[in-house]
Amino acid sequence: MTEKKTVKVEDIKKGAEKQGCPIEQSIFFISGFLDGPMCGRCFPCSMGSYEVKIILERIRDGHGTEDDISKLLRIAEDMLVASMCKRGKDTARFMLEWIKMDTFKKHIDSICADKQCKALIKYLIIPDKCTLCGLCKKACKYNAIHGETPAPFQTGYLPFEIRQGKCVKCGDCIDACPEGAIIVIDIKEAELSAIEK
Amino acid sequence: MSETIKVTINDHEVFVPEGTNLIDAAEMAGIHIPNLCYLKGMRGIGACRMCLVEVEGMKAPMIACTTKVKDGMVVRTDSEHLRELRRFIIDLILSMHPLDCMTCTKAGACTLQKYAYELGIKESSFSRKKFGHSIDDANPFIKREPDYCILCGRCVRICKEQGTSILDFMGRGVGAKVTTAKDIPLQDAGCTFCGSCIDVCPVNAIVEADRWQKAREWECKRIDTVCLSCGNACAIRVSTSNGSIVKVNSSAPDGSAEKYICAIGRFGFDALLSDTRITVPMKKMGDGFQAISWQEAIDIISERLSSSKDIGIITTGDLVNQDAFVLARFASDVLKTENVDTTVSLYADPESMKFSDRVDIDEADLIMVVGLDPDQYKRVLPALDAVVRKRASRGAKLIVINSSQTVLGLKADISIKDDEIIVLSRIAKALIEKGKIENAELNNALSDISTDEESQKVEEMISGATYPVIFCHPSLFGAARNLKLITDIKVVAVPYEANARGVIAMGLVQSGKSIKEMLSGSVNVLYAVGQIPSETRPDVDFIVAQASYLTGLAEKADIVLPAATYLESDGTIIDYTGRVRDLNRVINPIGNAKQHRDIFIELSKAMNSPIKESFKDIKSAHEVGKLEFRPFNRKEGLDTDSQRFIESTNEGILKHSRLLWLTEVAEKV
Repeated sequence: MTEKKTVKVEDIKKGAEKQGCPIEQSIFFISGFLDGPMCGRCFPCSMGSYEVKIILERIRDGHGTEDDISKLLRIAEDMLVASMCKRGKDTARFMLEWIKMDTFKKHIDSICADKQCKALIKYLIIPDKCTLCGLCKKACKYNAIHGETPAPFQTGYLPFEIRQGKCVKCGDCIDACPEGAIIVIDIKEAELSAIEK
Repeated sequence: MSETIKVTINDHEVFVPEGTNLIDAAEMAGIHIPNLCYLKGMRGIGACRMCLVEVEGMKAPMIACTTKVKDGMVVRTDSEHLRELRRFIIDLILSMHPLDCMTCTKAGACTLQKYAYELGIKESSFSRKKFGHSIDDANPFIKREPDYCILCGRCVRICKEQGTSILDFMGRGVGAKVTTAKDIPLQDAGCTFCGSCIDVCPVNAIVEADRWQKAREWECKRIDTVCLSCGNACAIRVSTSNGSIVKVNSSAPDGSAEKYICAIGRFGFDALLSDTRITVPMKKMGDGFQAISWQEAIDIISERLSSSKDIGIITTGDLVNQDAFVLARFASDVLKTENVDTTVSLYADPESMKFSDRVDIDEADLIMVVGLDPDQYKRVLPALDAVVRKRASRGAKLIVINSSQTVLGLKADISIKDDEIIVLSRIAKALIEKGKIENAELNNALSDISTDEESQKVEEMISGATYPVIFCHPSLFGAARNLKLITDIKVVAVPYEANARGVIAMGLVQSGKSIKEMLSGSVNVLYAVGQIPSETRPDVDFIVAQASYLTGLAEKADIVLPAATYLESDGTIIDYTGRVRDLNRVINPIGNAKQHRDIFIELSKAMNSPIKESFKDIKSAHEVGKLEFRPFNRKEGLDTDSQRFIESTNEGILKHSRLLWLTEVAEKV
């Protein structure tokens, strides 16, 4: 308990910067803030940051709307004025920084530029590059990769494919693939390009 | 006294005392600054941030509850920006509040509802949050529904200051919950069910258990009166609807921490409709009672009283002044008897009641509690405990002197566990040595007393205080009053009954036989007025009991007359601090019950020497009395056990309302 209290807002901010996408960063920050330095003594900060977490998670999951951005802006601005101490005001300031970023708007359009937000991306095996070695299948803990390595006595083979329903986008297969045949793509972008074609 | 300074609030100029906070200052100007967590009288904590105001010269808005006024301050309480901030906070709270205002008990009196209406928020624009906390309704008094809670912390703070400090937050931020330690039901956590938390809760999170579906808040008629259950005579506000009582609150404005009432005053009103309540005149028939008409009862009693010689009248200190005065006239003019005594004589002598000072506890900066054991758990003068502790937590010094360990002593600056008389004489000695006061009698009496460290400390405190007050047991009054000869100090003897001072002032002082003699059968006819505690039937020929509940002596009487309870009577009393307090009739007497004085007047008419309803001016009734030396000793025969006495005079309420549950729970443990 005492250890948690010594965590400073800045420390969490530094930790957050190690995360990839700005949305992930802000979720990391706000969860860290809620678990640690948030004292719960005043309403705007405790209730506001809790709401921010819910909204951010909604955006991360691809359900964000324009309205959410304006809500975040409202919370940040009001929290900056109304909260009791520096911690709440600092959090509000950081929030104002993020909201100005383009990435937030992009996320509303279901595009994660850093390809981090799992709800917005999918993993794909490029058949041309795949050598059917089967290492990715072994690496996948979730049984999401199906396919067969060709055997000499068999005619034809089952190409390696990722079942999107099972894939949790952990990245183990990418690490395992010696050929770099597995890539991450934006679902929305893929759809858009498909339409264009 | 502190100086008055000028503040401008919304273009209104207000003059307020220095050190006032902005919320109170604005209130004086008739401007309400919205707040959810502020409790008038207590230090602001600035949690809800609803009270943000703009102060000229300040960059950011400031919270009004913790900001003290400064001379020439210019304040705006209502700008568009502030409204947006308030809207934001209410919006956030509503996102986690069950929005069932149409069936909510608190609707109409709910602060959240009020602000949501004023700020025009129909429902929250933020995401809906639900926590599903469990409801604590395991007791018949207080129902806690944490889902309604807005985490303002008022109940936690009032419980610490007035109650037994059992409520606290569990967790922090959103999802926190106000509950007892280890989340156990209230009765297991040491709650005394004073219900102070009910008074301060701005929403429906803590309410009376039986409040729902009784009446809407705006349908209730609220009447201020006084509870006469014990010597504290707490101010109560009774809400009635269609002639029945809905609830009883402490008589403090909403959202203030000024008043305390205990479970007896707050929840005991059920007894009015219980089986033991006397609603018609009754005659003893064998083992039971038979209802008779008023005329029949008056005839029997007047005949009996006219033909008997040795008549004794006993009454209680619960009578209102008007009743007591008519009773005194009835005794002297109609019955022509000297044998009049009250239950006050069991614990106090007339001198202590007559000559006690008039004090304002809110002014006191040093309170000495001598020989008294106010205790909320035992419900012995609980309000005195709450009031004294509150004063102590707001800066007054507290000294407790008692020969046994007391609960209050744990909170005192100095707690002396020694014989009260010895300690008082040591303090007197210390005061004399410092002040070099020549008083032959005092010096004589204290010649072989030597001071000690503690008494010197007490002496320093008394000398340093501007408004020292001693609350003492009536038997110690004479000794404590000697301190008045030396220094300027207020001495008050605290009785166990609400109007003990008034009853004595109205002339109901023992002149003939004492109450103990009369109860042991030294008269022929006994006329008992009020709830007289008695375990056995006194050995007398005939007993008339004029009471509200069929308990104590009334149970053993030959004729029982139905008397109105304090909730059904009007009049005045003189409480233990010497203030004159008004009782207002809350509901009409149930059944055929009548006020005591009306019964006496009717009886006097039947006995052919009618007395008129008249009343002695109370102002003249208050005597200052000459200050004289009294020997340092304890008055004998006043050692009635306080807890047993208060329990037996309130037996009708304690045993025949939902308060019975408390004894049942205590027995189980």
